[in-house]
Amino acid sequence: MNTPGKSALVRPQVLVETSRALPLVSLSVCFTPGSVLDPAGSAGLTRLTGRLMRRTGGGLSADQLDTRIDTLGGSLGADVSHGAIAFQGTCISRSLDAFVGVVKDVVAAPSLDESEFGKLKRESEAELLASLDSDQSVARHWFRRRLYAEHPYGCPASGTLRSLPGIQYSHAKAHYGQAICRENLLFAFAGDIDADQAQRYAEQLSLAVPVGTPRAVPVAEPTFLSGRELIVIDKPERTQTQILIGTRGSHPKDADHTALHVANTVFGGTFTSRLMHEVRSKRGWSYGASSHLPYDKKRQAFSMLTFPKADDAAACIELQLQLLEQWCESGITAEELDWVKNYLVRSHAFALDTANKRVGLKLDEVLNDLPADFHNGYLDRVQAVTLEQANRAISERISPKDLLIVVVCTEKLLSEQLKAVVADLKSYEVIPFDGEAQAEAQA
Amino acid sequence: MPPTSTPESGDTAQSLLLQTVNQNAPPGGQVKFLERVPFGKTLSVDRYQLENGLMLLLAEDHEAPVVAYHTWFSVGSRHEKVGKTGLSHLFEHLMFNESENLPAGEFDRKMEEAGAEVNASTWLDWTQYSSSLPKAQLCTAIPLEAERMARLVLKDPQLNSEKEVVANERRYRVDDDVDGAVNELLWATAFKEHAYRWPTIGWMADIEGFTTEDCLDFYRTYYAPNNATLVVAGDFVALEVLSQIAEHYGPMPRSALPLEDVRPEPPQLCEQRVSVDKPTQTEKLVLGYKSPAFGDFDYPALSLLGEVLAGGRASRLYRRLVRELEIASEVRISAGPFRDPSLFEVYVSARAGHSAEELLEVVEAELARVKEEPVSREEIDRALARSELALLASLETAEGKASTLGFYETVLGQPAGAIERLAMEQRVGPSDLRRVARRYLVNTQRTVVIVRVQPEAVDDSTEAE
Repeated sequence: MNTPGKSALVRPQVLVETSRALPLVSLSVCFTPGSVLDPAGSAGLTRLTGRLMRRTGGGLSADQLDTRIDTLGGSLGADVSHGAIAFQGTCISRSLDAFVGVVKDVVAAPSLDESEFGKLKRESEAELLASLDSDQSVARHWFRRRLYAEHPYGCPASGTLRSLPGIQYSHAKAHYGQAICRENLLFAFAGDIDADQAQRYAEQLSLAVPVGTPRAVPVAEPTFLSGRELIVIDKPERTQTQILIGTRGSHPKDADHTALHVANTVFGGTFTSRLMHEVRSKRGWSYGASSHLPYDKKRQAFSMLTFPKADDAAACIELQLQLLEQWCESGITAEELDWVKNYLVRSHAFALDTANKRVGLKLDEVLNDLPADFHNGYLDRVQAVTLEQANRAISERISPKDLLIVVVCTEKLLSEQLKAVVADLKSYEVIPFDGEAQAEAQA
Repeated sequence: MPPTSTPESGDTAQSLLLQTVNQNAPPGGQVKFLERVPFGKTLSVDRYQLENGLMLLLAEDHEAPVVAYHTWFSVGSRHEKVGKTGLSHLFEHLMFNESENLPAGEFDRKMEEAGAEVNASTWLDWTQYSSSLPKAQLCTAIPLEAERMARLVLKDPQLNSEKEVVANERRYRVDDDVDGAVNELLWATAFKEHAYRWPTIGWMADIEGFTTEDCLDFYRTYYAPNNATLVVAGDFVALEVLSQIAEHYGPMPRSALPLEDVRPEPPQLCEQRVSVDKPTQTEKLVLGYKSPAFGDFDYPALSLLGEVLAGGRASRLYRRLVRELEIASEVRISAGPFRDPSLFEVYVSARAGHSAEELLEVVEAELARVKEEPVSREEIDRALARSELALLASLETAEGKASTLGFYETVLGQPAGAIERLAMEQRVGPSDLRRVARRYLVNTQRTVVIVRVQPEAVDDSTEAE
């Protein structure tokens, strides 16, 4: 258990981006790591703890805190990812002092009231139930759960309908002591504030946070499936499907990450990409068609997302698989490479056009253990990618033989068609869209 | 209104600017300066007009080396007819296709190569096209945008493909989406005469039935300079932008815009109530109260009342329904920002085991309270601060500034109306809130939609893990 600190101040890490364009200041107070701290079977514990802090700062009730924050012209959220518990807010400059005072109450003096924990847990369960209304959310949920399996990346930070009921108040209270301490603290400020002000606020906040020993949570590299697996999430009356297809992706620390990022942008990263052209522009099959190459501290998946009508789903999957195989076999062309470099270099202006975005990139470097100049060097790295590098990255990183295919649809209408278009299918599974809710109700 | 300056105020730099632009402008491309309007504490917006009626709004802001270029057309789903609903929105999609000097797909290709972020949207009163570019690439966007405004090519194969895309968008946003489907049902039930009764995306049968001739007629009628506003916000040089706009848009002819054929909605005299089954886990309650137009004197007060009732977790309905009684998981309110009277919408999603009727009882009690007891100054201040924060946050990017300017110009004819709107809200007092609550939150003027849990959604399920 941590204790209020009397030890010497550990000079906090403070990231700052100043802009006087608007009387607004944004701040992030991050504790690392995040939901990877969740014990096995308790997915959602870290997020519940972070949200409980947000609702009980300074011994105020949640209503009092919300009223105070709103009245200051502020907003403050507790956002928990795998890598961090982040208290992120914005306020009108005139209220900055008072707003920082509220943030201090939240991060350093939450009462962690037990009755509020009960409310929060029930509210979180209701939110998970409500998320079943969104077919795309359901698809993403099962895609991650099955792709990452037992790895922490397979456990949603929000928890599941099966994990939340088992989390008790005592767990959250103990978890606070383990997750929140001065030594794993990071600050980011952006907007109408200068470096000196930011430093002073960071030190004030840091001094108030209990000292402790940050928990080291080694996170292994995720392992990815071999072969092709098809999972159908069955939901009644679907006129449309949600399709996610994915496999092992890359990581910024890979030497060929930028090359793959460039090649992926050609494949499915823009409105005129190959996927969009073939699926939407030529055939009109899906409103959206895109591919993604996200990263975290560890490797994440490469994935494609489309949402064709039920009648076109099988043909759309067949086409996507053909396009993927073609991309892996033949790569991209020199003309595509030249074009995409122009796109990536020029559009990078929109990664930097606000102080908030600029500090976000710095934060990304720290939270994901990237080199300090990772984002500053982005343009040079993109410009340096050769055709040979791009195509080698595709063929070495992306395996079209090893794919997880998740489809949200009305299963009885499509099962045979779907199975027929996926060659070398290793397994086929059907999951009811509300399976977790039903399992929990029965338990 | 904020103070404005005019050419008569003797702005020499402005006169010189116009002189230079107009010296080199093609026939029809003469630019007239209308006014300079303050836009917040540090920015202003210059309003110009071309001879052909095209309105221009320029807001220079050198905070970041980017610029937003928007085209707003005063045409939306309110201008459509029964049997041809969704044409404005379908047309928004078609605008990204072939034009006389660009093969299909080249518009997007060139814009993306310039590093542009391109998008478009359609709603009840308007259609807008937005491009955000690095400042050095603005010169790419202007001729491309002018080209598609005047020289679009429409052919059957592209129309058929785009109809499929829009049908899929409809499935995504409406048919397979509980909230989208319920929203459509609410408006279709609440309005009997006015064009707001059909959805912007259109009925599926109408989408499937459009012909190339329908689209050409629509294009010739509404996509004209005298029905449009260009908004340029960000890091640009006014002389260069005005010269380019005059060159590329100046020669475009005006259109003979038809008189609007919108029928006023007759007064609603009794409550309407419908219910629908959906494959969802929990019941929903949606209320639509007939509410004033965006430009109505009462709108700011009603909007602020919405914040008091459901803006954030400290709002009255959230506290009561979600926190105290724990019978709802979500509450939200919106006052329709439209040219004609529309709906003040209340949406509540129940928790499992609770009915829409329980939600309705609590909502009604809270609405009754604001009709009787004055809202406290503290609650008003909270709502105002939220409103101010939302406005400031919306102006963070060039894109946000252009959207705000274009929206207020198109709907109210006041480009800096967002700032004025905040000032109007700051003048609202407890008596205003009580007055608008009594006037608009009336049961006989409301439509109630209840979403029930479809039995199959539960019965067919088996354990997953």
